[in-house]
Amino acid sequence: MTPAQTTQAARRRRLAPRLPGAGMATRAGVTGAACLLSLLLPLLLSQYAMSVAVTVVTFAILGLGLNVVVGYAGLLDLGYAAFFAIGAYTSSLLELHTHLSFWETLPLAVIAAAISGCIIGYPTLRLRSDYLAIVTLGFGEIVRIIATNLNVTGGPNGLYGIPAATVFGTSILTSNAQYYLGLFLMAVAVAVTGLLSRSRLGRAWRSLREDETASEAVGVPATKVKLLAYVMGAMVGALAGMFFSARFGAIDPTSFTYNTSVMILIVVIVGGMGSIPGMILGAVIVVALPEVLRPISNYRLLLFALALIVLMLARPQGIWPARRSRPGSFTAPPEPAGAAPAPAGRRSEPGSVLLSVAGLGHSFGGVTAIDDVSIDLHAGEILSLIGPNGAGKTTVFNCITGLVTPQRGSVLLGGRSLRKLRPHKIVSLGVARTFQSIRLFEGLDVAENCLVGLAAHQGRLLARHGLLGRTTAADRRQALRWLEFAGLSGQAHLLAAQLSYGDRRRLEIARALTSAPLILLLDEPGAGTNPTEKQALMQLIRQVRDSGVAVLLIEHDMDLVMGLSDRVIVLDQGRIIAAGPPAQVRSDARVIDAYLGREETGSGETVEEVLGWHS
Amino acid sequence: MIKVYIGDRYVYDVRSYAALARGAGTMNGLGLRASVTAVLAALALTAAACGSSGSGGGSGGSGGTISIGVPVPLSGDYASAGTDILHGAQLAAKKINASGGVNGKKIKIVSQDDACQAQTAAQAAAKLMSQGIAVAAGGYCSTAALPELSAFHRAGIPFVMDASTNPQLTEQGFTDAFRTIGRDDEQGPIAASFITKFLHDKRVAVGNDNSTYSKGLAESTVSALKADGAQVVFNNALTPGQSDYTSFLTKVAQSKPQVFYYSGYYPEFGLMLKQAKQLGLHFTMMGGDANNDPTLIKTAGSAATGALVDTAPLAQFLTSAKDFVSAYKAAYHAGPGPYSSYEYDAVGAAAQAIKTAGSTSPGKIISALHGITSYSGITGSFHFDSHGDRKPANYIVTIVRSGSFAAYKKLDLSTGQWVNVS
Amino acid sequence: MSAFLQYLVNGLTSGAFLALVALGYTMIYGIIRLINFAHGDVVMVGSFAGYTMVTTLVAQHWPVAAVVLVALVAGMAITGGLGMLIERVAYQPLLNSSRLAILISALGVSLALEEGARIIFGAGFSSYPNILPAANFSVGGAHASYVQLAMFGLCLLLMLGLYLFVHRTATGTAMRALAMDRDAARLMGINVERTIILTFLLGSVLAGASGVMQGLYYSQINFIMGFLLGLRAFTAAVLGGIGNIPGAMVAGLLIGLIGSFSDGYVSSQWTDAIIFAVLIGVLVFKPTGLFGERVAERA
Repeated sequence: MTPAQTTQAARRRRLAPRLPGAGMATRAGVTGAACLLSLLLPLLLSQYAMSVAVTVVTFAILGLGLNVVVGYAGLLDLGYAAFFAIGAYTSSLLELHTHLSFWETLPLAVIAAAISGCIIGYPTLRLRSDYLAIVTLGFGEIVRIIATNLNVTGGPNGLYGIPAATVFGTSILTSNAQYYLGLFLMAVAVAVTGLLSRSRLGRAWRSLREDETASEAVGVPATKVKLLAYVMGAMVGALAGMFFSARFGAIDPTSFTYNTSVMILIVVIVGGMGSIPGMILGAVIVVALPEVLRPISNYRLLLFALALIVLMLARPQGIWPARRSRPGSFTAPPEPAGAAPAPAGRRSEPGSVLLSVAGLGHSFGGVTAIDDVSIDLHAGEILSLIGPNGAGKTTVFNCITGLVTPQRGSVLLGGRSLRKLRPHKIVSLGVARTFQSIRLFEGLDVAENCLVGLAAHQGRLLARHGLLGRTTAADRRQALRWLEFAGLSGQAHLLAAQLSYGDRRRLEIARALTSAPLILLLDEPGAGTNPTEKQALMQLIRQVRDSGVAVLLIEHDMDLVMGLSDRVIVLDQGRIIAAGPPAQVRSDARVIDAYLGREETGSGETVEEVLGWHS
Repeated sequence: MIKVYIGDRYVYDVRSYAALARGAGTMNGLGLRASVTAVLAALALTAAACGSSGSGGGSGGSGGTISIGVPVPLSGDYASAGTDILHGAQLAAKKINASGGVNGKKIKIVSQDDACQAQTAAQAAAKLMSQGIAVAAGGYCSTAALPELSAFHRAGIPFVMDASTNPQLTEQGFTDAFRTIGRDDEQGPIAASFITKFLHDKRVAVGNDNSTYSKGLAESTVSALKADGAQVVFNNALTPGQSDYTSFLTKVAQSKPQVFYYSGYYPEFGLMLKQAKQLGLHFTMMGGDANNDPTLIKTAGSAATGALVDTAPLAQFLTSAKDFVSAYKAAYHAGPGPYSSYEYDAVGAAAQAIKTAGSTSPGKIISALHGITSYSGITGSFHFDSHGDRKPANYIVTIVRSGSFAAYKKLDLSTGQWVNVS
Repeated sequence: MSAFLQYLVNGLTSGAFLALVALGYTMIYGIIRLINFAHGDVVMVGSFAGYTMVTTLVAQHWPVAAVVLVALVAGMAITGGLGMLIERVAYQPLLNSSRLAILISALGVSLALEEGARIIFGAGFSSYPNILPAANFSVGGAHASYVQLAMFGLCLLLMLGLYLFVHRTATGTAMRALAMDRDAARLMGINVERTIILTFLLGSVLAGASGVMQGLYYSQINFIMGFLLGLRAFTAAVLGGIGNIPGAMVAGLLIGLIGSFSDGYVSSQWTDAIIFAVLIGVLVFKPTGLFGERVAERA
């Protein structure tokens, strides 16, 4: 976010009145009515309209699947038709060659798609944004070209004579029957993706979408979570593919082109990313709009294209955007700020060496950022890292937290090396951090920001809690406790973006604490805070230390450093030039040189005057 | 959702704050109602669109007309081909109605766009049936024809295809599938016969564009060539839609063929004719029936001279179609497309079957179609075999001379010799 | 050996046309982070503009050189204007919205241009009159025409011109600054809106030039010609490191060569799969493309 936009946004930060529970009845009513309507549709519509409805349902399933990838996890996918194809081909080939029935091939087709999701996802894990988009596009094309060129897939002819699905011995042949079958499969897709969005995994996806670096820094295993988005999306896509092949009894590669992928993407964006009703609505528009325009067939695609542009201009967020988290989840009585006791976390023996950094060195393209930096952080202390801009302070943090793999030296946490571990792994071992430029999950609410942090110390996101594990009451209580600790419990339901600057800092600290760290790394928490906020912040950092978490602090604000630190380490040009208690450090000649430059040391100014240290 | 975000940079969505101000509304206020209204409106629109057309009802049209359905591409890449076919159908209906119609009723042509896509085609077929057609006659792409055929088949409505040459279509054991054009696997032997028996070439390169039609034709040509004792020195597909085939041609030339037979479409073949000249290649170039298009000559310019194309004869080359060509030109201010005349015969044969059946009952029409012993169409006389395929299929070879296609040779079925087209 | 040389010549020719188009993708991406799906279709519009010009002027018996020149200029002017119009109408209002909304808008523009061209010029193919001399020569067994050589030279010249513009002029510097940080550039007094629209102008002018040149060289154009071309050019832009101008030039030529050698030594039907496989392979080892710089993680 840019500064200009921040202020603009701040001006618009008006809290919408929230009436927990209100409207739920209406919602349920509307959902019920929509379900009833969809069940009765065959009674109301002609055969032709029903065949359109079957296509709508197909695209709705596809939209729901792609929504997992694009809407939840924020990964642009331009080759989603590949999974549609893989589902269709796997099921058809099995039915033709092994005489398995539609239902018997279903799990196999879904597994095949999941495997291909892994294959497609794996090499792309390191890629970001638009590089990812072209790779997915490439995979989509490769799948289509393979299907066109191989004999086993029937080449350009495709496959014929695929049996229709049967239900209780009846073949699903008429549009009405196909519609009900499709509706059933769509209901499955709605249920699965709906549950996913509310699961821990769903929250991890959203945090990834908001800020990948930050989510790794609070313990989300980003690569694994991304891969799962592909796999889940692929499985839903396969469902649609099977339905498609059973509907027509014939498939060929021209049904699975880049254009198909684009149409599915349009369903997702037009409907409203992340929103389940949005997907169904998007499918209705993408399929039915060209049908409505049939009488003017020569111009219908042109009108469709223009409608698309106008729609995006008028509603860039889609027609039915996703709701925010459900209201009423977090209604705890507000506590006086900063008064809450620290929730139970991991404790360590006071005085022992927790983190031991030795001989750390790293260069960026020939420029040495840090060189031979050694730091011992003891349990129960606040250690400050200071130095002029560019001294290498943040690089030290990045080396410790795994954002940068140090070229030289070691980082040991309680004797265990952190070198080459992924950031999320380091968090789960007990090292949490905040960022110089605050990195919150702006689109998630305050409580959710903390809940993401819970993932870290709960360890295996999936294995222990199940794929669809829902947020438990215990999780909520724990997140709330940390919010109380940071004095934010009254704001739990606000979006992170709606918080004031000081609260944003506090939330970032609360989020880091939720992962129950042994060590908290704070990168300039005092930057930009006003005197009152600064006092509250100092109070909070002391409380953190008192709760048994050792603090490593980067700070320019000398009031804060001198008021809080047990020890201070001074970095200049990547090297440690002084270390010791605050009083000793500030009278060190090398520190004065570093801040003032050697030539000017004779000018009579003291470092206290320059930096405004008042003792 | 406050912010939709993809990418490595954090871009704030200021606009969505406005949405946020309406925010909770998505759940309990105006927003929900607006959204629901939108859904209902969309559904209503669809329903209205369907309702307006669903009123036809009854088999074979109501009152004084009999409806014949024409599913063809009217949008997308193949819209112009579809329009040419539709014009053929309309001319046929006009001719039949001018001579009193069928069983005292007028023939009415109803068309629907299938866009050459499977899903759209299924909807087009459903829409046609909701419009109460007695027979379907048309189709262009095999991709679309297949779902159309199965939709019509399930409803028991006969489908007479004019342009879909994929053998698979009539190999499914349906009694209600017919076509007025030869199958790909009949054209292949004809092309092979011309190459081996008339050109007397032994080293043949075959290229296709990996479309259903093209690959099918290439396969049947290759096997016929081998049966005729020729050596197939190259057999591969290209990626259509490019502008540059010089490397493909260089590879073909590496196999040192005497003739290169291309079973794809004219856009690629035209480019290849031009680029072969640029590369200084000298083998004979011959194309399948999808290359019979004047664009080929415009693109290749003088490089097209001498190029051969085998084809089901265009209306222009048939004495039996002279009246049709002039009527077509008068009505549409352009010459007929390659399949217009086959659609004309498809509608004509269907109308004759309805007349013979004396009813619009699909079963009776199907028997009547199979019962035709010799229908004198503008594309020649033919009947349908047990699969519904046209017998006999009809092919000639044309050559490019002084900037246009000229009829060149035809196979004399009685002697097996290639003779001049009279 | 002569075949190898021939593949090289063929690949460089198609690669040069591709590189011109890839430049547009990379410039526009660099400046507003948009994959401009309509860009391939802008090339198509340029081709049709040139086609209209060429057929009109040939009918009036203008000399070939004049026809070519006027067609090129007209094509570039029309696509330049079109590019600016597209930016103003379909993208600018969405610059601060989500990047997916603007992407869908770009898809809408792409489809609208294709369908508009189909309605005006028909669904069939149009052919430029074959007015350029067909004379060719042969070196080491490989054939090339003088026109081919001239086209290749013109492509390189346009690319060089663009490179110099971006690196040697104040406006070019503004464009590069904007690509790095839009807000910082704004704070430094750069007129952001004007610079963005100028980028569209430049990218589209190059697309127009590429469109007319391809029309003149290959003759045959139609309303969906921009699709495959755009796909490969976009691939080239990403391969070169999207946002990187010299990267797009080199990668454009490279994709042309890969395509040519794949047509020759593997099979044309696998060419697109091979191009994408190469792209994916490169990205796995170098996630920001061949020439893209690793963006340092800002903590």
